[in-house]
Amino acid sequence: VRTTTTTAAASDEALLHAVADGDRAALRALYERHAPWLTLRLQRRCADPDTVDDAVQDTFVAVWRSAARYDGQGAVGAWIWGIGVRRLIDAIRRRPQREFGAYERTPDDEPSAEEQVLLNVEHGDLGGALNRLSPELRAVVQATVLDGLTTREAGRLLGIPAGTVKTRMLRARIQLREELA
Amino acid sequence: MSHGSWHVEDALLGAYARGDVDVADAYSVEAHVVGCATCQAAVATLVTPARLEATWLEVVDTLDAPKPRFAEALLARIGVAPHVARLLAATPSLTVSWLGAVAIALAVAVAGAHQGERGLAVFLCVAALAPVAGVAATFARGIDPTHELSLAAPMSSVRLLLLRTVAVVSATLVLTVVAAIALPGLSWTAAAWLLPALGLTLTSLALSTYIPHTTAFGTVAGLWLAATIASAARPDDALAVFDGAAQLGFAAVIAAAGLVLLQRRETLDGWSAR
Repeated sequence: VRTTTTTAAASDEALLHAVADGDRAALRALYERHAPWLTLRLQRRCADPDTVDDAVQDTFVAVWRSAARYDGQGAVGAWIWGIGVRRLIDAIRRRPQREFGAYERTPDDEPSAEEQVLLNVEHGDLGGALNRLSPELRAVVQATVLDGLTTREAGRLLGIPAGTVKTRMLRARIQLREELA
Repeated sequence: MSHGSWHVEDALLGAYARGDVDVADAYSVEAHVVGCATCQAAVATLVTPARLEATWLEVVDTLDAPKPRFAEALLARIGVAPHVARLLAATPSLTVSWLGAVAIALAVAVAGAHQGERGLAVFLCVAALAPVAGVAATFARGIDPTHELSLAAPMSSVRLLLLRTVAVVSATLVLTVVAAIALPGLSWTAAAWLLPALGLTLTSLALSTYIPHTTAFGTVAGLWLAATIASAARPDDALAVFDGAAQLGFAAVIAAAGLVLLQRRETLDGWSAR
């Protein structure tokens, strides 16, 4: 709040350095930049908004406490995501009674033919191939490949054994390879 | 991470925020937004400010909250209710410094025990006194930082007294058992302090239902020191106060002091106020 003019222009890395030195205004600036997309991205993986908000809260508390451990490898956003998705796992585990199968949440309707064509232009047929995966396989691909979780973390998040994550990943890989061949 | 001038279209971003996109589009949005400041700013308009502000206040609250002390965090971890954990953790003789002092005293006594039977007598004397000192410090008016608080606590001071006594005695016993394992030539003597320790603690508590607690604890500790010194000074049997007959005696003392405490527990209410 006190250094609004300087923090507005500062890079993520500079802000994180300031946070490591105990600058609360820099944390606030990072929060304003990264909390919105983090909230939306976590929301796609967990339908319960309270759990998502808890995870976002825990994430920025962790950013404050471990800013000094950011090693400069990769973008700050990716670093924050790594923290956020793991805090979401913890938040979900703290509320085991809630229904949360949102990782398996599927889009309600299949993309239209027009969209399908556009997708094929943009991504080869990768987009279509991903969309045609069964929800179980797609959830595993999302957790491991796109969210960067380990097999064990993915298993904890999806509520399935780590071995099942591995076999589903294998099946997904085979299916994608066949469709893209 | 800049990718030229490519940005997620507003329509797609809006659909993503509503959850109305297919998996491939969602992946593509997420992979881009994580590193693109422009699109991050665009996303910021799609989340309710009130929601973000509420979460931010929670963050600030968490950062400003006092860190639970070591003992409090430990107690909370093993499932003690938070308010009980805080009252227990504020016990002066449950701090790291107090337990550290006890550990050092015991370590010195163990070293002494390696010098012979008199050294062993000193160890047993110290080991039996450790919980007595811990409980005494718990309720000494000048030491307890929550003295005034506990007077006003919605918990009977008997209950608090018992909770704290159990906590202090167990913490001290753990330290003493560890020390006893380091004694030379493990035998029955390694545990000979246990009954005296409990007997002295309960006797002090029972006595404090009659006289001020500082006097009670001081008297019991003084008698104990005198007895062990007198015993250790005798040439033949330095461990007389710890032999079989004495152990039986302490068992009887524990029973008697326990009964007195049970009968007179009412007088302990508001006890630390005296």
